[in-house]
Amino acid sequence: MYIAGMGVVFNRGRGLASLENALIQGWVKPNEFAYRVPQETLTDKQVLKEARRADSFTKMATLAAYDALADSNIPQETRAKVGIILATAFGPQVTTFNFLDDILTYGDAGVSPTIFSHSVHNAAASYIALNLQTRGPTLTMTQFADSFRQAVILAESWLSEKRCEYILVGTADQTGKVMEYICSQKLKIAPDGLIKPFNCAKEPEAIPAEGSAFFLMTNHENYNQYCSISALPVDNREKADLYILDSDGMCGSEEGYLRIANSHSPVAAYAPILGSMLTLSSFSCAIGALMLKNGKLYPSPVRDNPHQMNILEANPTLPIHKIDCLRYNCNQEEQLIRLRKEGA
Amino acid sequence: MPATDIAITGLGAISACGNNLQETLQNFSNGKRNGGPVTLFQSNLDYPVFQVNNLPHCTSKIMRSLSLTFAAANQAICNAGLEEGFGNLRVGICLGTTVASQLNDTDFYRQYRESGHAPMGSVDRYLNSNLAQALSKFLNIQTHLCTTIVNACSSGTDAIGVGLSWLRNDYCDLVIAGGADELNRVPLDGFGSLSVVSKSLCAPFDRNRAGLNLGEGSGIIILEKKSVSLKRGRNPELFLKGYGLAADAYHLTAPRPDGSGLEQALIQALNEARIGPGDISFINAHGTATKDNDLVEARVLARVFGPKVKFLSTKGFTGHTLGAAGGLEAVFTCLGLCNGWIPASPGFKDLDPEIGIAPVDQKTQISGKYAVSTSLAFGGNNSALIIAKN
Repeated sequence: MYIAGMGVVFNRGRGLASLENALIQGWVKPNEFAYRVPQETLTDKQVLKEARRADSFTKMATLAAYDALADSNIPQETRAKVGIILATAFGPQVTTFNFLDDILTYGDAGVSPTIFSHSVHNAAASYIALNLQTRGPTLTMTQFADSFRQAVILAESWLSEKRCEYILVGTADQTGKVMEYICSQKLKIAPDGLIKPFNCAKEPEAIPAEGSAFFLMTNHENYNQYCSISALPVDNREKADLYILDSDGMCGSEEGYLRIANSHSPVAAYAPILGSMLTLSSFSCAIGALMLKNGKLYPSPVRDNPHQMNILEANPTLPIHKIDCLRYNCNQEEQLIRLRKEGA
Repeated sequence: MPATDIAITGLGAISACGNNLQETLQNFSNGKRNGGPVTLFQSNLDYPVFQVNNLPHCTSKIMRSLSLTFAAANQAICNAGLEEGFGNLRVGICLGTTVASQLNDTDFYRQYRESGHAPMGSVDRYLNSNLAQALSKFLNIQTHLCTTIVNACSSGTDAIGVGLSWLRNDYCDLVIAGGADELNRVPLDGFGSLSVVSKSLCAPFDRNRAGLNLGEGSGIIILEKKSVSLKRGRNPELFLKGYGLAADAYHLTAPRPDGSGLEQALIQALNEARIGPGDISFINAHGTATKDNDLVEARVLARVFGPKVKFLSTKGFTGHTLGAAGGLEAVFTCLGLCNGWIPASPGFKDLDPEIGIAPVDQKTQISGKYAVSTSLAFGGNNSALIIAKN
């Protein structure tokens, strides 16, 4: 399965150019211990014309999906049959809490139907379909830290069955005051605002974040603009040329990543730029795909390295053809998505 | 994609219509409807609901949706003859829900709102209640295929469809699939605000239908490759033959008036099953009893299957169980095929001239081999399953 287009919305803006700029610029201290998407990022009236009343969750996802489709060069006549798979850890939880506010303030009979209908997890995918006028299979799934990998597996399955020829596969998650309070109680928030992904700490530090990343995926090799992507398990693991670690402090102990340290494989990590999200792996895949397309490496923004991991330099001499995006979940289970350059 | 026969070898259902298959069939046969006032939580709304009584596995440490899941999954696993475990089988778990995916706990939020602090018990309960993940832990299943579908009211149907895709692609040998949802204050208030909830027991497809009733439950099926079930010494009778899924791309809460999304899903499912509309013996329709849903859905059924098609909505027995509905109704469709009869569509009395066709109004014998179960959801998701009996 190939990546034909990508789109991202994150704390420093919208689009692949913003992502590349952030990767070059490096770490920036977060405001109020969270990386939020600026509201001005979500004001594209043209793209969001059908989503004027939608919440930030839906707007982030709609913009990222639109950009992924626009980034591709798939035939115009196929666009109406594009499928959509949206993966999210917590869904539009800010809207859910707004609805609870309504119940507590106005009572059972005084709540807003608009807020209710936008609090449903699949509202964003529906808006994407409405905005892009796609009528293919449309599905939303949630599996906490494994959400994006499960979405990629399903996309491979649908394409293989020819349920559709092109699929927008992406993630969206948002933060907000209640979620940030929960994170402060359940996680260790980095006091200096700096996530240290190579510490492999038993109690790692996090900075809650939000964003959306979408990919236009297809089995048609001629529309491949970046690389292939697969989340199916590999029995006899080929070593990757680079491991992008999703160590962002969201899943408890990160000691599992020491396995990679001990193997001396080249590693990189970008959570300090993007923040902590259970769906971070989608952004890691986007960065990996950019690297494979552009033939250049983006330096890891934080290089604290107590375990002498083999952190990749910006201009390595070794060729990079295969990248594994790796997450250890709360049960220390390995979750892996592989990117591979054409011909590798 | 090589054709692979995907068998349905286990069924489990719990709803207000019965805590197991036998009770459900008895109530179907008697036409007994167990709707009544909500007692699970405080509400100022005067809507009848369909609650499950005597729910097993019910503790304050997990969400009620999960207790419902465990109950139905246990039934389905026993029904499939898998009580002793799954051996070396590669197992996937795919379950649909709506309520269990949200931290919509008003007590937690009230405390947070009033003081800026709240105990984490509610959060822990929520984090421990991702249906697919929790069931894999409950059954001690190690799997890389474990997904919770949150496609609103079609979640259960779509979870079964995802299971079908996994099996056809040989990602696994067996899938535990279906849906579960608990009765909760948030959707009751939300659907009430949309003015789609009836103050009396619902009447799907009836001329005087006044909206839906909410319910709760879980419906779970065991899907496995026929070759795998034969190796286990089972001789499967039921098969999942097709799945269709299409988007309306029209409106967040209203179905596309021309019903073309549902029609596309039905045609896709029929094509996958390699059968025509004339092969269908009955349809377990989504039939929520809202004005819009029933009008659009019945018109599509008449258009695709003809005006004499036998169809019913079982929501008059269970209420609208949201993410569980597709799972429960797939189980009910299997029961209809296995037993050779379907119950009268509860609540229906008078033909709606705008709809033009009527659901079955008495217990009806079924002789055919194939049946359809449909789901329509918020956001314009349309899903259909084709189930066959050998």
